[in-house]
Amino acid sequence: MSELRFDDRVAIVTGAGGGLGREHAMLLASLGAKVVVNDLGGGIAGGDGESSSPADAVVAEIKALGGEAVANYDSVTDGEKVVKTAIDTWGRVDIVINNAGILRDMSFKKMAQKDWDIVIAVHLQGAQSVSMAAWPYMLEAKFGRIVMTTSAAGIYGNFGQANYSAAKLGMVGLANTLSIEGASKNIKVNTIAPIAASRLTETVMPPDLLENLKPEYVSPLVAWLAHEDCEETKGLFEVGAGYVAKLRWQRTKGHAFCVKSAAITPDAVAAQWDKITDFDEAENPADINAALGPVLNAINNPSKGGNEFIDVDLAMAGEYTAENSYDERDLSIYALGIGAAEDPLDAKELAQVYEMSGDGFKAAATYAAMPAMNAMLEGAKTGKFSMPGLNYGFDRVLHGEQYTEIKQTLLPSATLSHTFSVKDIYDKAPNAVVIVAMSSKDENGNEVVYNEQTIFVRGAGGWGGDRGPSASANELPSRQPDQVVVEKVPLNQALLYRLSGDWNPLHADPNMAKAFGFDKPILHGMCTFGYVGRHIVSAFCDNDPRYLKSIKVRFAESVFPGETIETRLWKEGGKIIFESRVQERDLVVIRHAAAELFDELPKAIAKKVVKMPKVTSVDAPADAPEEEINDAIILADIFSALSSFIETRQNLIKEVGTVFQFDVSDPDSNWFIDLKNGEGSAANGLAEKADVTLALSADNLMGILTGKADAQKMFFSGDLKISGNMMASNKLTVLADLDPALVVAAKTERLANGAGATDVKATAVAPVVKVAPQAGTIFKALATKITKNKKVNAIIQFNVGSPDSTWTVDLAKGSVSEGDASGDANSDVVIDLEDKVLAQLVNGVDPAVLFQKGELSVSAGDVLLAHNIEFFEGVL
Amino acid sequence: MGNRVNVIGVGMTKFAKPGASKDYHEMAQEAGLLALKDAGIGYNEIQQAYAGYVYGDSTCGQRAVYELGITGIPVINVNNNCSTGSTALYLARQAIEGGLAECVLAIGFEKMEKGALGTKYNDRESPMGMHIPVMMDVQGFNNAPPAAQMFGGAGREHRWKYGTKKETFAKISSKARVHAANNPYAMFRELLTVEEVLASPEVFDPLTRFGCCPPTCGAGAAILCSDAFAEKHGIKNPVYIAAQSMATDVPSSFDEKSMIKMVGFDMTKNAANDVYEKSGLGPEDIQVIELHDCFSANELITYEALGLCPEGEAEKFIWDEDNTYGGKFVTNPSGGLLSKGHPLGATGLAQCTELVWQLRGTADKRQVEGARVALQHNLGLGGACVVTMYRRD
Repeated sequence: MSELRFDDRVAIVTGAGGGLGREHAMLLASLGAKVVVNDLGGGIAGGDGESSSPADAVVAEIKALGGEAVANYDSVTDGEKVVKTAIDTWGRVDIVINNAGILRDMSFKKMAQKDWDIVIAVHLQGAQSVSMAAWPYMLEAKFGRIVMTTSAAGIYGNFGQANYSAAKLGMVGLANTLSIEGASKNIKVNTIAPIAASRLTETVMPPDLLENLKPEYVSPLVAWLAHEDCEETKGLFEVGAGYVAKLRWQRTKGHAFCVKSAAITPDAVAAQWDKITDFDEAENPADINAALGPVLNAINNPSKGGNEFIDVDLAMAGEYTAENSYDERDLSIYALGIGAAEDPLDAKELAQVYEMSGDGFKAAATYAAMPAMNAMLEGAKTGKFSMPGLNYGFDRVLHGEQYTEIKQTLLPSATLSHTFSVKDIYDKAPNAVVIVAMSSKDENGNEVVYNEQTIFVRGAGGWGGDRGPSASANELPSRQPDQVVVEKVPLNQALLYRLSGDWNPLHADPNMAKAFGFDKPILHGMCTFGYVGRHIVSAFCDNDPRYLKSIKVRFAESVFPGETIETRLWKEGGKIIFESRVQERDLVVIRHAAAELFDELPKAIAKKVVKMPKVTSVDAPADAPEEEINDAIILADIFSALSSFIETRQNLIKEVGTVFQFDVSDPDSNWFIDLKNGEGSAANGLAEKADVTLALSADNLMGILTGKADAQKMFFSGDLKISGNMMASNKLTVLADLDPALVVAAKTERLANGAGATDVKATAVAPVVKVAPQAGTIFKALATKITKNKKVNAIIQFNVGSPDSTWTVDLAKGSVSEGDASGDANSDVVIDLEDKVLAQLVNGVDPAVLFQKGELSVSAGDVLLAHNIEFFEGVL
Repeated sequence: MGNRVNVIGVGMTKFAKPGASKDYHEMAQEAGLLALKDAGIGYNEIQQAYAGYVYGDSTCGQRAVYELGITGIPVINVNNNCSTGSTALYLARQAIEGGLAECVLAIGFEKMEKGALGTKYNDRESPMGMHIPVMMDVQGFNNAPPAAQMFGGAGREHRWKYGTKKETFAKISSKARVHAANNPYAMFRELLTVEEVLASPEVFDPLTRFGCCPPTCGAGAAILCSDAFAEKHGIKNPVYIAAQSMATDVPSSFDEKSMIKMVGFDMTKNAANDVYEKSGLGPEDIQVIELHDCFSANELITYEALGLCPEGEAEKFIWDEDNTYGGKFVTNPSGGLLSKGHPLGATGLAQCTELVWQLRGTADKRQVEGARVALQHNLGLGGACVVTMYRRD
């Protein structure tokens, strides 16, 4: 490392007659600097002698060591004179070390004004005066280094040093601003807080401690800060006994109060005190811009306020997620819970509770509100659900409004993930209104339902926040309603409805109901919601729940089971306005309500296609030309493969005993699979007599036959229509065993025969490949063909999977046996592969290729010996 | 011949897992200050800066070096995948060697995300658009991290071709941990046996989890200067660059249906041969090597590509322990990418840092006895490979 030098630099060190100042001056001079040694003389009390001896002594010492120095005896408050000495002697000043100081320690109680004044004068005004006199020279030279000397007393406070502490921290402020003003002229200003033995400390510290606090442990930092290589500026350093550290400011994350209202009171400050003083998420602002950041942020993004129940900013920033599933059973229980299918012979409502309904199962529309709400209730029950910033209990909560918007037709079963967030919070003092938004998405990330719950929170308002919109929406037209639906709620309806997830005893337990001031258990608000949803569907959708798009209601009063709900509905443009009342009590229970319908059903959003490299989407023979591989598999290939498959699985004829007919659309064609007559068949065209007919698109048939799609789901979503013996269609699952390799082989054969990819019907259906032989067949064939190999003395063990078997081939003996290598002759290499991979080896696929693809692995022994398994090629 | 290029200051941060590091500019500041301190010069002496990183918006380089000083010098942002750090070094070396500058900073940093490397821009042609089809053709594509499939595939090919055992790959990972145990800058310093490596979850046969380097955050820096500059600052006998070469893909990467070739075997070979020729030194003259062990499989094939052992004999080289203390060479004394970590932009400069320490004899417990000549190998798919030979007289 190169030595830092100060040649040609002129430095002023104030208070350099002894202690730290002397040491700074000596060090700088020893490194080549020309030094003005300033000292008024005098001991700790300062000014009591004005003898020039301390400064002269240091100058003499420096000169004796070959350095250059000159003495100055002026007070630092006469900065011009101090600097003049430097200018007169060497014509420049590069470095100012503000070190001079005195003490007038006494408690504030005893301190006189003069004690204050003189300390401020020497430390703060002294530093200012010398720096100010040197400043023009530094600006002119575009170079300057100033070091201030502060103290732990200033930074942290110290008993009896009020004057000294104030002066010392004043110097830090001076340094901070000078560093900014000098930045463009390469003037760097830093501050040190030294602890060292000096005239200032010798009276307060014991000798053995002072021994460790030698001034020479401080000066190297001062010299570095004064050096031209040092880029540091505006720094504050603690230094002593060989320890050097940098200090900086730290600020808590703080709290931004809502200033729009009059909410920032002393009490509000007191309430946030923990947060204001919590350094957990602290930051370190280094300049005034950083310091102002949070304040500007508070101006630009004013806090919306809150109180002990609700922190609006926190609540609106929060998010909670949960996931749950439902199936036909949940849907059926729900539909019964909202009064559907009271008449079991009503086919339309039966479709909402009977999963095998001929017209296809349909979910009750208002079930769309349930999965997210159930996830929230479940979360609350297990303590997992908590929205930050919402700190009120369920006892304060009333469900005020419900808005449900259906984005996709509800499937008979689904797993949905829900995201809960707070959309708005209104202060309806003394109460509060919280609007929770819930978005429910399917497994592909497509939104299925959006719900909003408007929650009325008793006694949680009053922080002076936004009152929110007050205009009443969805006012009823003055004319007579277009439709009126009247329905009596059975007496046990709440008991049925609660099975869908809201277990609140208020709706079941007579005693609990009394405790809440009701004569008997009330119906769930959301059950009433379900009823009115059905009323809309029956009035305008020909009872097909899939056409309900959105519904919004305000809950006005509770309904008692056994009462009669009358819903009056008006069709106004694209919107349905409605209101529900209880006839018996002539009381409005649902008001400001509206619904929208779909003109046509929303198309189910296609499942995201995962782009898979084409080569590996099927088990293609590796040596097939690329253009063939990239070609699509068509139905003809599948039926061709099925035909081969059936030929080898004659047991299916007896087991299944069914003829399947497929009426395919898009493009239109007919196919059948006969697993009943003779040896069975699978082909293009119409079967003589089909047991079951399935109508579906070509893509969906491909999906079912290749195991990529679930026929049952397709059936429930209406993409598959089944006529005839519906139960027989379940037997199609036996085809899941179809080996994809057969399909690929069939396609390869088709292409080889010149049949184009689009020429679906022209393909002659005939068995084109033999079924993959079992390992036993292959190894037995190998046994008859393999001969002793004198060159290779190797025992190869094969662990075959699907179905599992183990085989050992001894090349030296030319033998093949089932089981692992036993006795003395342990195997030299162990090869793991699937049964079907054996067939590929037989067909001449290079084992190196299969190894590289990972279809054949070597679990033990010498990989090189595995090269020999080329012997499988053509053994059959 | 241009000017001799000296490496007078190096520095790096301790590498950390994603989420556990400072921000990139702070890491760069730390590494940069250490390098300046090491060189004993101020930032105002730096005439140009080359700043390498892969992940981040443009001009992060300026933001990073502004932590060292705002002096108005040229700052060039460098992005070259996993070889980014050594590419910054390459450019800095050119500037000095060509006489265009006296003192230049090469700095690299990376703030990585958790998980395997993926692509950020999916609306355009991938930079791997010519490499991936080779892999698809040779071995298909599965769910494993793509880089693991590529380098793992090269490992498979080596296994089939030369009968290399899975244990051999594991042995490399185990060696990396032995070295890293002595490196306070490394992320993973706990020892691992071959059995433990083999028992970790399989990523892509023959690679298990411990055969793959982790996503890492960190920074490294090096200060390069001319002889005149070193002399002026009284820097005696510095480490210098004896030769340096960068190579990119050649047709064999794509034509030979070989995973070993696709992942850059010939790039390495070409860059290394160029360096041997320029320096007049061969593998036999080298004592210590930092090479690109992003996966154990790549360290294995790199032994052969650098000519440390004949092609096909890496297995014997490994079990003879010619890659560690007491053997012919010490490869990755720092623990390598496998154990130290692999912050893409910083790796090339961290390798440089380690080798400079080794040649100065200040590598503490990792010191390779008698290290006079050192070799650095840094490779990025896409591709680029930088090989650098360092000496100290």
